[in-house]
Amino acid sequence: MKKWVYVVLVLVFCGLVLKACLHRDYPETMQAQTNIKSDVEMVVFPPAQKTVTINGVDYLQSQAPIGKFGGEIHSSTIGEGPKTFNPFNSKDNISSLMSEVMYDGLLSTDAETGEPIPKLAKSFEIIGNDYIIHLRKGIRWSDGKEITADDVLFTWQNIIFDGFGNTSTRDSLVIDGQLPTVEKIDKYTVKFSTIKPFAPFIRMLSTPIAPKHVFAPAVKKGKDYFYTFLSTNSDPKTFVTSGAFKLKEYVPAQRVVFERNPNYYMINKNNEKLPYLNRLVYFIVADLNNEVLKFEGGELDVINLQGANVARFKEREAHSDYKIYNLGPSTGTMFLTMNLNDRKNNEGKYYVNPIKQKWFRDLNFRLACDYAIDRKNMVLNIANGLGEPLYTAESLNSIFLNKKLQPYPKDLNKAREYLIKSGFYWDKKGHLRDKDGNHVEFDLYTNAGNTEREAIGVMVKQDLEDLGMKVNFKPIEFNTLVNKLVNTLDWDMVIMGLTGSPLEPNGGKNVWLSDGTLYMFNQRLEGDEKSPRFDWENEIDEIYIKGALATSFEERKKYYDEYQRIAYEQKPFIYIYSPIIITAIRTKFKNIFPSGLTGITYNLEEIYIDGEDK
Amino acid sequence: MQVFLYILKRILQSIPLLIIVSLISFFIIRLSPVDPLAELKLNPSVSKETLQKETERLGLDKPIIVQYGKWAKSFVKGDLGITSNGEQVSTKLKERIPNTLLLAVVVIFMTWIVGVPLGVIAALKWKSPVDRILTVLTSIGMAIPSFFFAVLLLLFAVKTGWFPVGGLTSSNFAEMSLGGKIWDIAHHLVLPVTVLFTISLAGLQRQMRANLLDVLDSDYVKFAKAKGLSEFKVVYKHALRNAINPMITLLGFEFAGLLSGAALTEYVFQYPGLGRLILEAVLRSDINLVMASLMMGAIMLIAGNLIADILLIITDPRIRVKGGVS
Repeated sequence: MKKWVYVVLVLVFCGLVLKACLHRDYPETMQAQTNIKSDVEMVVFPPAQKTVTINGVDYLQSQAPIGKFGGEIHSSTIGEGPKTFNPFNSKDNISSLMSEVMYDGLLSTDAETGEPIPKLAKSFEIIGNDYIIHLRKGIRWSDGKEITADDVLFTWQNIIFDGFGNTSTRDSLVIDGQLPTVEKIDKYTVKFSTIKPFAPFIRMLSTPIAPKHVFAPAVKKGKDYFYTFLSTNSDPKTFVTSGAFKLKEYVPAQRVVFERNPNYYMINKNNEKLPYLNRLVYFIVADLNNEVLKFEGGELDVINLQGANVARFKEREAHSDYKIYNLGPSTGTMFLTMNLNDRKNNEGKYYVNPIKQKWFRDLNFRLACDYAIDRKNMVLNIANGLGEPLYTAESLNSIFLNKKLQPYPKDLNKAREYLIKSGFYWDKKGHLRDKDGNHVEFDLYTNAGNTEREAIGVMVKQDLEDLGMKVNFKPIEFNTLVNKLVNTLDWDMVIMGLTGSPLEPNGGKNVWLSDGTLYMFNQRLEGDEKSPRFDWENEIDEIYIKGALATSFEERKKYYDEYQRIAYEQKPFIYIYSPIIITAIRTKFKNIFPSGLTGITYNLEEIYIDGEDK
Repeated sequence: MQVFLYILKRILQSIPLLIIVSLISFFIIRLSPVDPLAELKLNPSVSKETLQKETERLGLDKPIIVQYGKWAKSFVKGDLGITSNGEQVSTKLKERIPNTLLLAVVVIFMTWIVGVPLGVIAALKWKSPVDRILTVLTSIGMAIPSFFFAVLLLLFAVKTGWFPVGGLTSSNFAEMSLGGKIWDIAHHLVLPVTVLFTISLAGLQRQMRANLLDVLDSDYVKFAKAKGLSEFKVVYKHALRNAINPMITLLGFEFAGLLSGAALTEYVFQYPGLGRLILEAVLRSDINLVMASLMMGAIMLIAGNLIADILLIITDPRIRVKGGVS
């Protein structure tokens, strides 16, 4: 009798193990291929969306193929989930993403060209410094109230210009100490005026528009109350939205569920109201590994893949129900930068050791470091080939990229020439010494825990030690590093990453204006704003301001080409590479037009499900 | 009456303890180089003015001792403050406590229902094959790191598709019938409960076995046997009652431990419990949230011990007679 029990137990155990191991064996076709060609150029985008008037309502008509209604899409966000659903309070990407789903802006971005196109607005005109916005007639909020110029006026005047919530949008619009003005012409027309021509303003018009009848009471109660308005504790029923979806349910640490907005103003070619999908679910997952497991388990429909996972998923793609798209280089940049600071802190001590200052402030030294770095090798070994070597300040998918700036390979001889020019020499042991005989030794920091940056650090260290420098590579905790970068400024060299915008270089003004909050390589704290600058720092300052004030794209491009050239020559940042975005999405989703500028699910209202399971 | 006095005394005793715990935790968090605004500072689109406003809103521009005073004052008043995202800490905790409590209660219930009888069986069948097999199984249970076991089970869920990959409810939970909801939660609970159950079962079973063996070896049990009492009466009426006392003390600790100790398992299974919340709060240095959860942990521990002691008074007449002080 007892034996029986053992036999059954063992059998059950074996059965479970087998079931877990068994999955169809696919032939290993070839060595994992990570060199996936970009798919973005081959995408055929549908014709531009049109405005169609039916019964006095100005609908936006999608020109994408007609699809079927129903179904849902499951996506995910990594981290803690949204921190607020109020589009004007969001300070992180996830919160912004959630509010963008619900609140449309006046304009949006063409996925193919990056041009601003009308969204909530019917059309727009730019006459000198005036931006005249014509609104759609008869379109409605999700609660049935009409969307009018009053909402636009309220959003810009009473929320943004009056400094409610996250004031970054407002702060970036201050020109010569003055804000743009906004006025209502009639029920469906609004006019914005800037003091001077200010090109980045047009992109700002994609800022969400708030329903006045919902937000006005909150604004009346003051800024402190506004900060908690539409927080994650709010009842989903109180949300009144203009976007394709509206909040249905937020389950903390698990998911955010959006449902179709029945009053959405976009229609398909059959004049049926979009979106096709009934629901949009974002799962909140804690880390990358869990996200991958959820995708493999079929709980997610779309995922961004990284590193070794790309090869693994690519191998199985042919036998699977998903397709992998390469969206090209992201706006993320990895770079190495040195501390060019030559000032003293409040206690009268130099932020950077004066001996080291001489090296870092020496262009030849920076160029030597630049030539010593093997970017291709890093892309291959760290990013599994899923990256593009980077030499410019604008990211590779930017419409302002200066294509004249040529890439170049690692060249130790050139690097040595530059060093010799500045009087550096090598002693008998091969150590690099400056002209005063000091051994070149410094600390290289990055944030611990970011395996990619740590790997870059190790390779940079090796590359620089080829030149006889001594590099002490120290990954430190993220917060400590940020504190060093923005407060105590006691660092020599650091590996960091930043993300920018492919459409608007002016978003980087905190990084490039010499009094910016993220002017890492020569950060000026309060009291140091007037300190002397390099000529090229002044030049970039000037160009950056001019670039924002110029109006035509061509004129702006000239300025931004120039700033990229200066950065390319002066090397305040030594750029290393940009990761490539790889996204997998189930094949049952149709109307997918991936774009290097806007991603893959930017046209949520047009996406539909065609396939057996719904 | 005596019991009430005893409880009151214990509660008063715990007040200085709580103050010390809060002081230590507050200063350690604030002195650590974690900057709650680090992420914002590295975001190129966030302006200087916004950063300045955030610093003032979170009170980071004041000395630590002032910050502590402010926190302690509102804590005593029962106001836990707001998180760095502007949400009420109390609502945040309220969202998570039921989930963690559910997990903890299920696990404790199952381990006791299974662990205690297994321990008794092992002790009674000492050195028999049954005892040996149980020893092997529990050793395995104790040896597997919970984190590793959780990951294994998660992989199992992905490969077989029998269980959901983490979480507590399905995405269409809101539309389910009551029965469906219960089934859905049970389905999601299987794997995390399995992990925690395996780990704590081993400890409990070993403890029970050792206690009972000790008691069975004592003189009064031998005397009872010699007197001719039936085996059943000796074991279940006399030996077991004495052997169970240390287990009750254990229960008090286990209750407090499970609330915070399941953090790793919660993290792997994406379980929306307290553990994950606290972990994220610590990483962000969200002082009010961290403090609230630490204080809650301390209070839970004190309460758990108190409950255990009260249970002991009920089960053990000796303590009652001595005047209720342990």
